[in-house]
Amino acid sequence: MKYLYVYPEKCTGCRECSIACSLKKFGECNPKKAAITIVRDEFNRYEFPIICFQCEDPICLKFCHQNAYQIKDGIVLRDEDKCIGCRLCAVLCPYNAVTTIDDEIIKCDLCDGDPKCVKYCSTGALQYLDETEELEKRRKKMAERFLDIKANP
Amino acid sequence: MFKGKLGIIDLSKKKVTIKQTPDSLKKLFLGGRGLNSYYLYNMIKPGIDPFSSDNVLIFGTGFLTGTLVPNSSRFNVSAKSPETGILGDSNCGGYFAAELRYAGFERLIIKGKAKKPCYLYVIDNTIEIKDAKDYWRMDTTDVQQTLRRDLGHVEVACCGVAGENLVRFACVRTGVKNAAGRCGLGAVMGSKQLKAIAVRGTQGINIKYPEEMLENVEQLKEYIMNSKITSILGNVGTPLLYEVSNTLGAIRTKNSQLNAWSESLNADVIETFVEKMIGCSSCIVHCRHRNKLDGEGPEYTAVGLLGANLGIEDPAKVIELNNICNELGLDISSSGTILSWVFELYEKGIINKKITEEELRFGDFELAKKLLYKISRREGFGNILAESTKNVELFGKKSVDYLIAVKGLPQSDPHDCRYIKAFALGIATASRGADHLRSRPTLEIFLRLPQEVKDRIYGKGIPNDPTSYTAKEKTVYFSDNIFAVIDSLGICKFICHGFNSPHFIDYEWMKKLIHCASGWTFKEKDLQEVGKRVIDIERMFNNREGISREDDTLPKRYFDEPMTLKIAKGHYIDRGEFDKLLTRYYKIRGWTNDGIVKKERVKELEALA
Repeated sequence: MKYLYVYPEKCTGCRECSIACSLKKFGECNPKKAAITIVRDEFNRYEFPIICFQCEDPICLKFCHQNAYQIKDGIVLRDEDKCIGCRLCAVLCPYNAVTTIDDEIIKCDLCDGDPKCVKYCSTGALQYLDETEELEKRRKKMAERFLDIKANP
Repeated sequence: MFKGKLGIIDLSKKKVTIKQTPDSLKKLFLGGRGLNSYYLYNMIKPGIDPFSSDNVLIFGTGFLTGTLVPNSSRFNVSAKSPETGILGDSNCGGYFAAELRYAGFERLIIKGKAKKPCYLYVIDNTIEIKDAKDYWRMDTTDVQQTLRRDLGHVEVACCGVAGENLVRFACVRTGVKNAAGRCGLGAVMGSKQLKAIAVRGTQGINIKYPEEMLENVEQLKEYIMNSKITSILGNVGTPLLYEVSNTLGAIRTKNSQLNAWSESLNADVIETFVEKMIGCSSCIVHCRHRNKLDGEGPEYTAVGLLGANLGIEDPAKVIELNNICNELGLDISSSGTILSWVFELYEKGIINKKITEEELRFGDFELAKKLLYKISRREGFGNILAESTKNVELFGKKSVDYLIAVKGLPQSDPHDCRYIKAFALGIATASRGADHLRSRPTLEIFLRLPQEVKDRIYGKGIPNDPTSYTAKEKTVYFSDNIFAVIDSLGICKFICHGFNSPHFIDYEWMKKLIHCASGWTFKEKDLQEVGKRVIDIERMFNNREGISREDDTLPKRYFDEPMTLKIAKGHYIDRGEFDKLLTRYYKIRGWTNDGIVKKERVKELEALA
């Protein structure tokens, strides 16, 4: 199974990933309307890509009262036909990975195995790799670290 | 909407008008620098004082700014320059311009003058004029962070203390070090009591053919990433150019008394101060250094002009001066040139302590640092230095001979232009004064570039010898035109064909990118015409302010003093040859022999709407 892996130390903050995502999904260039968000602050000196971790036990799925979410081949997918747009998933996702703007709910589906964010990243800060034990450890650690930053900013 | 809005803000009347720019004008000038120059020509009456309420200050994004197109982060700030009294225009990267597009605006035109400090708050299709009393007197980082604290994650363009105090070479800043640095546009902000523009937007830029843009950019990205120069710029940034110029013996040193300086400022040394390389919006080159001394930079310009030109060898000190200029909102190019000028004038006894208050000398970091602060606050001798090249009157006629400036604008390029003749013609004719980013055919510096590559870019008949005057008008003409177009598109010059590499975005690529974004079909010739139109309207602005052939010249030193060190030793600019080169340049431009845009052309461009 392939997943997205993030290397923030290589992220330059340029947002080509999120602009490509919005262009592919909505036909517009808008880094705020994408399934990947770059949190950046040049004064506090950080660039950090926020992606969907495709959780094993996803909160978006667990709390969806319309059962619009399902896990297919390890990818957490939202069924637009079932979704009524309540945005509970976006509110509850602890990683801020489900975004909502202009009545749209945006959730990463890994572009059917060809993630645009990875394609347009110029530094390798985003990589689409086969899952290995080591990578999984790194990914989990990053998720934990993210929750930690959120709890103690 | 691919189309954004035009916001017109009259600070005197506290009135905001929101309009659309007609498509007809965009087809002629695209956006960015091109449209800014069109508006400057049409909105500014000749002879006005740049600090009066009659001056017009424009923030204009490029045609493709904020899109997936690589390096499309740029905008131009334009006004009549208080430093030169002619066209003032400066191009800038960062995140401000993309955000302005996402807020629904392509361009802001600011007229009049506020009665008290204000800032503009631009958010999703609206513009508000707000009180800036809490932000006045703040350094550039402070004001941007405070605005973010108060308004959320806004992108800000602001002036520093230098701009508030009308230092004639104050810059407009965004982020840690991105600057619309040249021509004193930060002082125009200060004169209008406009501290900042804070922008936040959630609107997208609608793309006419999204799949076509995804495909084009994928190909273009691969093309650019495969170039050697991209990876070098991404690893070490522009300081690379310091070593290139220094090896040649063409680094302006101690106000161009010398032409080579220490290897201690080479890129590999600067690299040891870098924490991380970062990028502007949509950038795939990422040449910005986040330095370990709490700032960003230094660029090649800072390394040269705050290092070699001031006689400073220690890279840490150069970086500190660089960071100080950024905080105060001073243009690094003018700062380094003006300081070195007065250091030499003092050494030569042309000015003395009556004016300078203290002894001036090269190589004195503490002195340079102190003077930068004094300039920004207009204290004592700083108040004099803040007048930039206008000090010729105070310092006396002899002082002109040592001034490295053209048309009142201190030279930006740390490159001493006595060796490469095309560089010399470029700074002599650039529309804002002595500046390398208007038309420098950088490829001239790469001595081993095959002749056929140059022939393909510039046309045949140009000798592969940078010291030859033959046909160099063609290389400058080509560069001047294509850089005007890339500035109008809002794309960084670093990926423009002929700037650093012979293989980047050329007219063919521009056509494709414009088409997928807007659906508009341009021919290569149409794009060349855009470039020519921009150059001509800028020249018309300058002609109207009295600029003619006699102003298209070089610092006296470049003509009369041969260089003394390294490969460039013995080289200078021959007055006769230069004069002939200038005549040939005017001829291909279609200007009169006196450097004036011909009447028919003026009539044609004045009729455009």
